[in-house]
Amino acid sequence: MNQKGISALCAASLLLTLFTPSLSAFAADRTQFTVGFDAEFPPYGYQNEEGEYVGFDLSLAQEVCDRNGWELKKTPIEWNSKDMELKTGAIDCIWNGFTINGRENDYTWSVPYVDNSQVAVVRTDSDISQLSDMENKIVAVQTDSSALAAFTGEDAEQKNIDLANTFKELQQIGDYNSAFMNLESGSVDVICMDIGVAKYEISKRGDKFKMLDEQVSSERYGIGFLKGNTELRDEVQSTLLQMLEDGTFAEIAEEWDLSDSVCLSEDVAVRDDFTEDETPFGEKLVSICRQLLKGVGASLSIFFLTLLFALPLGLLIALGRMSKFKPLSVLIKLYISVVRGTPLMLQMLVVFFGPYFLFHVSTSTEYRFIAVIIGFTLNYAAYFAEIYRSGIQAVPVGQHEACEILGFSKTQEFIRIVLPQMFKNILPSITNEVITLVKDTSLAFAISYTEMFTLAKQVAAAETTIMPLFIAGVFYYVFNLIVAFAMEYIEKKMNYFR
Amino acid sequence: MNLLEVKNLKKSFGDLQVLKDISMTVGEGEVVSILGPSGSGKSTFLRCISMLETIDGGEMSYCGSKAVKEENGKPVYVSKQELKEIKHSFGLVFQNFNLFPHYTVLRNITEAPIHVLKRSSAEVMAEAKVLLQKMGLADKGDYYPYQLSGGQQQRVAIARALAMKPRILFFDEPTSALDPELTAEILKVLKDLAQEKMTMLIVTHEIDFARSVSSHVVFMDGGLIVEEGKPEDVIDNPSNERTRTFLRKLEQ
Repeated sequence: MNQKGISALCAASLLLTLFTPSLSAFAADRTQFTVGFDAEFPPYGYQNEEGEYVGFDLSLAQEVCDRNGWELKKTPIEWNSKDMELKTGAIDCIWNGFTINGRENDYTWSVPYVDNSQVAVVRTDSDISQLSDMENKIVAVQTDSSALAAFTGEDAEQKNIDLANTFKELQQIGDYNSAFMNLESGSVDVICMDIGVAKYEISKRGDKFKMLDEQVSSERYGIGFLKGNTELRDEVQSTLLQMLEDGTFAEIAEEWDLSDSVCLSEDVAVRDDFTEDETPFGEKLVSICRQLLKGVGASLSIFFLTLLFALPLGLLIALGRMSKFKPLSVLIKLYISVVRGTPLMLQMLVVFFGPYFLFHVSTSTEYRFIAVIIGFTLNYAAYFAEIYRSGIQAVPVGQHEACEILGFSKTQEFIRIVLPQMFKNILPSITNEVITLVKDTSLAFAISYTEMFTLAKQVAAAETTIMPLFIAGVFYYVFNLIVAFAMEYIEKKMNYFR
Repeated sequence: MNLLEVKNLKKSFGDLQVLKDISMTVGEGEVVSILGPSGSGKSTFLRCISMLETIDGGEMSYCGSKAVKEENGKPVYVSKQELKEIKHSFGLVFQNFNLFPHYTVLRNITEAPIHVLKRSSAEVMAEAKVLLQKMGLADKGDYYPYQLSGGQQQRVAIARALAMKPRILFFDEPTSALDPELTAEILKVLKDLAQEKMTMLIVTHEIDFARSVSSHVVFMDGGLIVEEGKPEDVIDNPSNERTRTFLRKLEQ
């Protein structure tokens, strides 16, 4: 077989592993055990002050590994991608305060080991004292969390669905740290989350927050394995039960202050359900596309509004940068250097949280989108400014001298002679930036703004398929084809002079 | 009346003194050619009197108005407003044309008269067409510069300068970016202008042209005027050794 054939085969098998459950996890002579967890979910799994991954679940996993002679690999994962991680065999299980309720058919589960409930956390000074007070409030939950499932999942209780309908907004947020920053700054009114997490976060963050006595729902945690992987499940589970018997489990629970929530017991029946979800492919595709379509508008608004504001602002910045007034040009140079030297995601976080955490100004609900546009505009204007500057400086000195001799004023010279020539000079660089912008719109997820890619990740997580991500990829590609086509057209139009 | 009077002009770039002490007058209707080897300061002199460079010493007047006078040994330029007026009295044609590439030939010519002199565009348009006719480019008004030959571009540049109706026109080696056959068409235009009594100051390497057109020839070397006078004296019977060496080299 020639080289091409081999690489085609490799590519094909790689695709296969992407789409079919990997069997590598079933290997008999196991030496490693890879645990997938969300590194921002204390006390079950998180990064401590020394930068190590620790937590109740990881301590349990370590003990299980020690007893089986395995090496524990702790793999922090993006929560939305957990099913893909599991399917590709990148992780052996999800062990991370993982709620069984509502996901019974999606994984092969261990017996439940923690009984957890969903509770509501509010600011201490909040006027919310019971669940019914959440009417017309903005309620935050973690993306694809048990709290979200409790309100909108297929198995959600009717009373919770009714309750959720009274909310002003049900906001999905990527991690709890940013959820608490949202709560503190007043961008959201309530966070619903697991009781263990709530206790931990409140104890860490002092008396700024409180938990409502009334609970949203009750639920249990288990270890999730790839559906069908009963062999590994049984091995891990029997070790856990051993640990329960000799008291190690209780010790570890004590260590993490979770003695009140653990519920591990041999009596719980192990239920293995192998029914596959049989929705026809076409129907699924249509339903996914319909869901993603809701985010397309958001992505397009980010794109067009950013261009609308950043293109002119960039020109002003470029002029300031070239100004002979030293303090101005130095200031702008510093601004460009900071914007180009730090991640756009971070800049958006600063714009969004800055007003509250720096100046104690509470921001409205609409500010989330405004912050996205401000962040993108400030960032892109800096890049555009440097492109403009290079374009202006590329105009030959002879053009300036001709203007000088003919008596043009500086303004006339800039508008009539420099700008049109600059515009032609910079088109290829602008095209590059615009194409990057199309893809960068997905970064709005940093402040939990729901644009198309965020939605794709949510749908992918909810439907345990990577199809939405592929569809999102196709969307970005087609969008960029159109952008490239439009820019090529403009470049051709500008070819009337050389 | 003298359209240009330069006294004791000095110009340095850093430690390098390019113009040491140049004095010159150009009277109305005169055609003055400046000859000299590369690096002698000819182009710098032209850029100084066109005010593209500021001078370090000396005085300059145009059409009787002082633009730079010497006070306590330092050259002092008059106010911006006065300079603006004075600048309208001269035009400059560049070695490499410096046409505006994004404007048509006609717009290159009319842009400044309409927007700087604020003249009516109909009038300016009509004049521009006459100028193009004179330059033999009557059919090229709607072309863009890149569609023209070098000689045609330089003729547009001359028309652009003339459209501002300057009293005196400076030329900075107007033919040295051109092939010999294209050079001829520019020299013909300059000869025609000389016949119409246009006052011109031309930096050039074309000896034959300088002899036939100029009323006065200046030979510069090392930042100084080495020799000047009527063309037949300076070119055919040079008295200075440096002039002779230069002319001999050109003939070879």
